[in-house]
Amino acid sequence: MKRKLLAIFGALAVALALLTPAFAQAKGKVYYMVPTLLDEFQTGSVSALEMFLKQVGYEMTTLNADNKTDVQQSQMNDVIALKPAAIILAAVDFNALKPSIEKAMAAGIPVIEFDRQITSTPSAFTSVAGTIEIGYVAAAEVERLLKEKNGAVKGKVLQVLGDPGDPYTLDIQKGFEEKMAAFPDVTIVSKPAMQWEASNAGTIVADQMLANPDIDLIFNHAAHLSVAAVAALESAGKQPGDVYVMSSNGAPVGLDLIRKGWMQVEVEQPLYAQAAAVAMFMDKIVAKDEIKPGEYDVLGLKSTVTAEEWGPNIKIPGAAITKDNIDNPAFWGNMQPPTDTIKSVE
Amino acid sequence: MTLRSRRVLEFILDNLVWFMLLAVLIIFSATIPHYFQIGIFANIVEQSSVLGVMAIGLALVIISGHMDLSVESVAALSAMATGILFCSAGIGMGIELTPAWLAVPVSLLAGLAVGALIGALNGYLVVKVKMSAFIVTLAAFIWVRGLVVAVSGGRSAQDLAPAIRWLGIQRLVGVPLTAWIAILCFVGFSFVMAKTRFGRHLIIIGGNEAAAFRAGIKVDRILMLAFILAGATAALAGWLLAIRTSGATANLGTGMLFNAFAAVVIGGVSLKGGVGALPGVYAGVLLLSSINTAINLMGLPAHYTQVIHGLLVLAAVLLDTAKHSIRQKLA
Repeated sequence: MKRKLLAIFGALAVALALLTPAFAQAKGKVYYMVPTLLDEFQTGSVSALEMFLKQVGYEMTTLNADNKTDVQQSQMNDVIALKPAAIILAAVDFNALKPSIEKAMAAGIPVIEFDRQITSTPSAFTSVAGTIEIGYVAAAEVERLLKEKNGAVKGKVLQVLGDPGDPYTLDIQKGFEEKMAAFPDVTIVSKPAMQWEASNAGTIVADQMLANPDIDLIFNHAAHLSVAAVAALESAGKQPGDVYVMSSNGAPVGLDLIRKGWMQVEVEQPLYAQAAAVAMFMDKIVAKDEIKPGEYDVLGLKSTVTAEEWGPNIKIPGAAITKDNIDNPAFWGNMQPPTDTIKSVE
Repeated sequence: MTLRSRRVLEFILDNLVWFMLLAVLIIFSATIPHYFQIGIFANIVEQSSVLGVMAIGLALVIISGHMDLSVESVAALSAMATGILFCSAGIGMGIELTPAWLAVPVSLLAGLAVGALIGALNGYLVVKVKMSAFIVTLAAFIWVRGLVVAVSGGRSAQDLAPAIRWLGIQRLVGVPLTAWIAILCFVGFSFVMAKTRFGRHLIIIGGNEAAAFRAGIKVDRILMLAFILAGATAALAGWLLAIRTSGATANLGTGMLFNAFAAVVIGGVSLKGGVGALPGVYAGVLLLSSINTAINLMGLPAHYTQVIHGLLVLAAVLLDTAKHSIRQKLA
């Protein structure tokens, strides 16, 4: 009996050992270097990339850097040694990962920049919504909301950044303030929520509502910060709409706050489209074929591929989510992944 | 030095952290626009509630001569447990109880149970298995935060049951009820430390564990209880954090451990054990909150706030060190 059991388990082990590489070698293994799993966008990006890459025949493994640059550098070194078909990198630090990207590219492993654009060194492909552009969209919405509230583009805006050591939030701030500079009657008060921690955002809002009771609008750089900001407004006796609230990244919590009337706008990062674009071009990236500049349809969004100094770059437009278009299933915050299967670009 | 002036000096040294707090409040009120107002002082007290409760448990363990690095992660797990059970959006299950107020004790008990359990595990490994508290609780700091990410899948829970949120909105004398809970905890635990056998034994153990054992004190039992209380108070802090933010995210409470340590040290608790009192710790927490609020109100570029925060904490600790040298000269 013991021998029979051993034989069965042995056969199973051999079968598994044979099956696993066969599956992995369908088209190859891709590593996704995610900066953190502590926010919903990043968690969502893991499942979206995995789903789309599977549709075009790739297996994906994710490594989480816990927002630590040195950890991500070590992970890059380890993954380069494994010689995968490609590496998808959402860099913790836009500059610090440059040597790792160069090392991988030199080893013949294509590196794809996802969500966080690195322009200081060439990559095989870049798929971004554009953090600076998110700031632009946010500024346009602030312009609209202040006009709606005060009759003109004037008033006071509290901008709650994420961690000031994170280039992601600094780029949004850069884009936002660049556009808002055109409106001298708008005062912007900027404060960082250290480590992107929600209760820090709540504290900032609670203090600022006392120091600057004439704040018209609060712009948080992530939806989860808005949850704490709204809790602070509620504790201060405010009602939905008394102070306008908006945030960026399009997370489910943000959409929920719009539905409840507490928030007016969520600037979406087109998560599904960003992930789908990577998968659509993966065959070309792995084969090192040329990716032609031009317009491409990515999950119904008109996206533009341009040939940049840092390689082919696809930019997918972010959208402003308001109560009028909130139920659009294309918004990743509605948690309805696209049902259509994507196809590789020929 | 006359006896009278010596007594005055000793009184000042004994309560130095409170004087520091007073000085800081006066300076900030005079120099920072909008700082001097009742609302801001109420905010300082309210913002101190989570850190304060967390610092109580940490102080107990440090006074006993050990360390608990897991308090921040335990608070996050407790907040997430509360969020998952009683939030109605995100990953919240939105459990509804009848009558609705039952959600308050049930959520609190669930959180406390989680915290006490982790505290008991830490205590068991330190006291019975004789492992280093630093390593055991560092491991717990990591695995408990990992558990928060795992159970939440990185997603968040929001829209906490109104019966629980009520504690964060309702005010008594201008201060939210959550802050009163923290104040009650400080009063209660200060009494325990000063007036009960457990408190006295904890200080003796922290001063000299071997001597305490020889004196017949049940060292293992007291230490075990200290770790369980640290876990439970951290869980209470997490419960308050969930109320404050109306839910929980996977990174909730990140960075609080270091602030809790700073508050405990500024409050006069010796990292070597055997010295410290909880009222001082509360003053330390209020001091940190006052600094934090000042930074929020100052028009500083975002990148400099951490530098200012760190330097002000360093200044507070330096003053505390100066206090000890003066005391040594007096002795």
